[in-house]
This record gives sequence, structure tokens and C-alpha cells, in this order.
Amino acid sequence: MAASPFASRSPSMTVASPNTAIRLKASAAQSGSGSAADVKTSSQPNGELTEQLNNSVAQNYERGKKLGEGTYAVVYQGFRRDTATTVAIKKIKVNADYKDGLAMDAIREVKYLQELSHPNVIALHDVFSKHENLHLVLEFLPGGDLEMLIRDQNVQYGAADIKAWMGMLARGVWFCHENYVLHRDIKPNNLLIAADGEVKLADFGLARSFADPYLNMTHQVITRWYRPPELLYGARQYSGAVDVWSMGMVFAELLLRVPFVAGNTDLDQISKICEAFGTPTEENWPGVTKLPYYIETDSSQIIPTSGRDFFSRQFPTAGPVGADLLMSMCTLDPRKRITAVQALRHKWWTIDPQPTKNEDLPQKRHAEKKMAEDMSRRGGEVNDSPFKNAARQLDFGGR
Amino acid sequence: MAANYWASTQRRHWLFTREKLAETRDRLRDRDKVTHSQFPLPDQRLLNIYFNQQLIKLGKRMSTRQQAIATAQVYLKRFYTKNEIRQTNPYLVLTTAFYLACKMEECPQHIRFVVGEARGLWPEFITPDVAKLGECEFALMSEMNSQLIIHHPYRTLSELQTELSLGSGEIALAWSVINDHYLTDLPLLNPPHIIAVMAIVVAVVFKPSHPGGAFSSPAQSAQSTMAGVARDGNGMNMLAALADRTGTGPPRIQKLVQWLAESEIDIKAVIESTQELLSLYEVWEQYSEKHCKEFIGRMVKSKNLDK
Repeated sequence: MAASPFASRSPSMTVASPNTAIRLKASAAQSGSGSAADVKTSSQPNGELTEQLNNSVAQNYERGKKLGEGTYAVVYQGFRRDTATTVAIKKIKVNADYKDGLAMDAIREVKYLQELSHPNVIALHDVFSKHENLHLVLEFLPGGDLEMLIRDQNVQYGAADIKAWMGMLARGVWFCHENYVLHRDIKPNNLLIAADGEVKLADFGLARSFADPYLNMTHQVITRWYRPPELLYGARQYSGAVDVWSMGMVFAELLLRVPFVAGNTDLDQISKICEAFGTPTEENWPGVTKLPYYIETDSSQIIPTSGRDFFSRQFPTAGPVGADLLMSMCTLDPRKRITAVQALRHKWWTIDPQPTKNEDLPQKRHAEKKMAEDMSRRGGEVNDSPFKNAARQLDFGGR
Repeated sequence: MAANYWASTQRRHWLFTREKLAETRDRLRDRDKVTHSQFPLPDQRLLNIYFNQQLIKLGKRMSTRQQAIATAQVYLKRFYTKNEIRQTNPYLVLTTAFYLACKMEECPQHIRFVVGEARGLWPEFITPDVAKLGECEFALMSEMNSQLIIHHPYRTLSELQTELSLGSGEIALAWSVINDHYLTDLPLLNPPHIIAVMAIVVAVVFKPSHPGGAFSSPAQSAQSTMAGVARDGNGMNMLAALADRTGTGPPRIQKLVQWLAESEIDIKAVIESTQELLSLYEVWEQYSEKHCKEFIGRMVKSKNLDK
């Protein structure tokens, strides 16, 4: 019989411990012996209660076709029986034989999505374990993601549409920050779109709560093109400003329809940021030279900070007020960068054009494959490209 | 801290009334009366003291934060509201709770390292197979319905520090009182702010005689300071004063009473928690590590729970 997590069968009585039951509910199929039946009729229904609960959750869902498979999860279309709604079921690949414990990504995702509920954050309906895998029942988002819309040249969109999408993104990010959660992987393909056009912040595999003051966090987060300068310089104490920078990058990309600062390496990313926004110096960013990976720039090479004119010229579609918002999201010094709540109070939202209504937004239909691809990918990974981001490496002990 | 306590799974799913908690445990016991009479275990609080000491030992070499230890203790409590302890190998559950709590509190440790440490401490009860721990982690998560965020009272304590102008001695004592409340059922019965306020009341009312000195380690218990207090009538009188909000006594305490009255905090819950804590310190005097160790060892061995 399969080994249970903490108890084996009691020698004196031929009943299995409750935890064997937990284990067995998963492996009954493969055990093939009569032990599964023993468990069902055992006099210790306690573990079974959990099992039943778990099963009743699982039984409420019908698993449909496989939509996609990534490095860490398989995503299926699913159907919720009691409410007759379609859902996405993300099956986390538990490492074979539990050798490494549950992946930090899975833990983080479950941890935060269990607590956060907001129209612009992907909903986690249920979690259940079955066949030794963890299943997350997520909101079904057949509209694909923002990346698809940005890249598809057949899709036309304008300033009003961008305002609508950015508004939803900003509300989602604000909500996370209000709840002391940093997302740390905001990028167009983590912004999924519901059937009704609502943008949902997804993939909380890199999220964490704000650290206690003076405690260090890892700087190896956020996919490179959306990573703020303070993280590229190795800052270990940071704030919601990191997500705001990513938001700014998404904004710029929506306007330009190509990634705005797309470095090939971390160093290249820094130099591209300098070219675009100016070189970080003690003058525009007090303390920057103290950051661990700060690179001294020869004084003749220093690029002055880009002002309003630059943003207005570079992003004409945003209009001067939109360009001002973008500029405040891309401020080099994180302390001077606009916060999510300040961004929501910016006057760009209230001036014309008014944001497009959800139902009138350009949309992709039946893009559930794209959703599945986004859901099954590890954060920090860039579209199957060979360069793997170090973001998912566990930072043992270092926090 | 993450997310909002008032909307949290902790508040919605893991806050019990005393009656509910007792009922839950009775139901566990009724399911398996035989094992219960076969293996009488010491008072739950004494076991908790033992578990806590084991957790601290386990965390020692890994420079773990107190908050991770606290989270692990709450996981244990949650787990044992759904599972009969006599059906488990507490050492494995303990190690798993620690391992998962470290991940939750963003101070992850490698599974091999945790198993190695645990084996060093309890070689008879932990097998070298890391998959066991991984499997147990999975079960622990399932039992907790994957509701993993624990809101602790520590942050409320530091937030109230300035507002109530608490001295460093008082903060240290209150911190230790919070550490100790994990040895009781209080984390399942009260929201964290009640506990924080209770700890402050205790710290102010029963001020330590040697401020600062006694509390060097953040994992320290207030037991040494508080041991005599339980029998000492003084403190209880103060509590009585709190209860009727008359605000008699020294000005320091009057100020606190006034603040409490204005804060609309559930004073009854604060007082009940204080009494619970004081009775913990009474029970503590019977604590014997050897006793607990033997009891658990006998139970695990004779039921073959370590396999």
C-alpha cells in the first residue's frame, strides 16, 4: 500500500488512518488493491470528511478539453455544475514524488488569490486536490490577453480603448497594493480579458506581501522589459512603485504597439532605459549610486532626464495629459514615481476621450488557448524564448 | 501582512467560538474513543509548549523569523481541528507546518535541509525520504483548504506603539505575550487585534520588574516574568477595573482604560483572553518536556505512525 504522509495502517486494527485516506483518495485508481475499499468503510471517517469535502468540490466541476500546457501547469476548460458556468482548471504539476515540495509559484498564487477578490483580479473559485495534483479553478477568460491585441495588426484600437484597458489595469494594481500585495510580474500577457471585455490581472506566481520595513526582498522579479531601474540596480527594498513602472511600460506598449524598452540582457535593459528616460544620477534620484549594481556613467555620457516634450512627441496618441501620466509612471526615482492611487486620480481619466465601454472594446473571441498558455507559463518567462529569467529561482534564506 | 483581515479566509473560515471549537474536538474524539482511552495525552497546552519548543529548535539553525514559527503553530492548530492527533506522527506534521510556513512568510528553506535538520533532532521519527514531507505538505494544504495567509498580532502591536506611547520594556513583554498566546487556542478564537490589545494590557498592567533585560530573544516567552502573576491578586483587580471602565489605579493604566473605552474594542474578549493567558502560565508550572516526549513517543511507536 502506498505510504501515507504521516500514518500507516494501525497494526492492531485493519483500518487505515485518516491520512492514508487522503492519500488514497488520490491513488485509489492505481493502487488496485482492496485497500481503497477498506478506507471507505473504515471506522475513522475523519480524514474522509476532508476527502469528501474535497471530492464534493471536485465533483462540482467537470473537466473538459485540455487548452494548453506549460512548464508548470496544464490548463483545461471546465464546467461548474451548480451554476452552469465555464471555468478554467489549472492543474499544477506537483513534482514527481513530491521531491521538491510544492513550487513557490503555486503556493504564492493560491495564497494571494484565496484572499483577493476584485473585478480586475482573476477570480479563484476553488482549490481541490485530486490524483495528487493541486487544481485551481479559475475564472474563464476567453478574450485572450492584451499582448494578442497589441500584436495583431488586424486589430485597430484608439486612445479611448487604451484608456479603458489602462483604467482596469490601474484599478487591479491599486487593489493589490491597497491589500499590501505586490504583483511583481505585470506585462501584457498577464493581463487577461474576460468575455465581457474586462481586463483581469492574472498570474500571482511572483506576488508577495509588502515586506516589513528594512527586510530584504529579491530583486530578481518582473519580466525584463517591464522591470524598473531600481530592480535592475539590485534594490532589495522596494515598494508598489515597481508595479507602477511595469504599468507604465504596458501603457507605452499599448500606445506604440511594440515593447518600448526591450533590452536583450539586464545590462542592455539599463542602457535602453537610460536612452529613453535619462541616466539615473544622484541629482535626479538621490541614493541611486548606493544600489548594489549601480553602474557609474562617464559624465560625458550622461543623458538628461526626458521631460514632458519627449513624452508628448514620443506618444502623440496619448495626448499631452496622457503623456504626463505616462511620464509620472516612468519616473526613474521610485520615491517620486506616481503611486497606483495617485495614478487613478490623474486628470487623464476624466478628460476626453471617455474610456470605451467594455462591450465596445476590440476583442478576440475564442482565445481560450491564449489564456491557457498564459496561465500555464511560469512568471518571468518570455514567450518560450531560450533566455530563462532567474525570477523563479528560490531565494533561499535571503528573502 | 497581506490582504485585508476583515475579508480574509482567516476571519471567514478559521475563527471559532469556544463552543464550536469544543464541539469540533468532541466530534473528533467520539469518532475514535478506543484510541483516546488507550493513549491519554497531556493537556493540549502542555503539548503546545512542547511543539513550540521543538519548532524553535528546528528553526534555530535556519535563522527563521518568529513570524514563521507563529504561522507554523497556527497551521498545526488548524490541522488538528480536522485530524485526530493520535492518528498522526506529530513530528512530521510539525516539520511540514514549519516548512510550509517558511515558504508562506517568504523565508523558504530547501526541503532537504528541513528534513536533514528534523532528522538530526528526531531521528526515530523522521525518515530520510524527503517525499514524505512533500506529501504531507500536500495533505496539510488540502486540510486547510489552501487558505494559507495568517494575520498575526505583531503588526498591530507595533502600530499601537506610538499611539499608546509604549516603552521598550512594555513592547518586549507584549511581544512575548503574543508569542505565548500561540500555546493556547486563542489564535482560533480571536482576531489578531484583540490579541495585540490583550498583550498590551498585560504588559502595562503587569509591568516587568526588570524592563528590557529579560527579553533578549524574540522567541522568548513571557512565562518567567508572568509565572507568579497568575496567583497575584493585583493584576486581577486591574482587570476588574478595565471591565467596569472606571479607570481607577495609576494614571498610566487610566489612560489605557480610557483609550480602550473609546476604541470600541471588544473589552470582554480582551479580558477573556487575558484570563486564558494567565491560566496558561498556571498550567505551565506542570510542564515537563520529558513527559510530553515520552507520551508522544509511545503513541507514535505503538501505532506505527512513523512509518
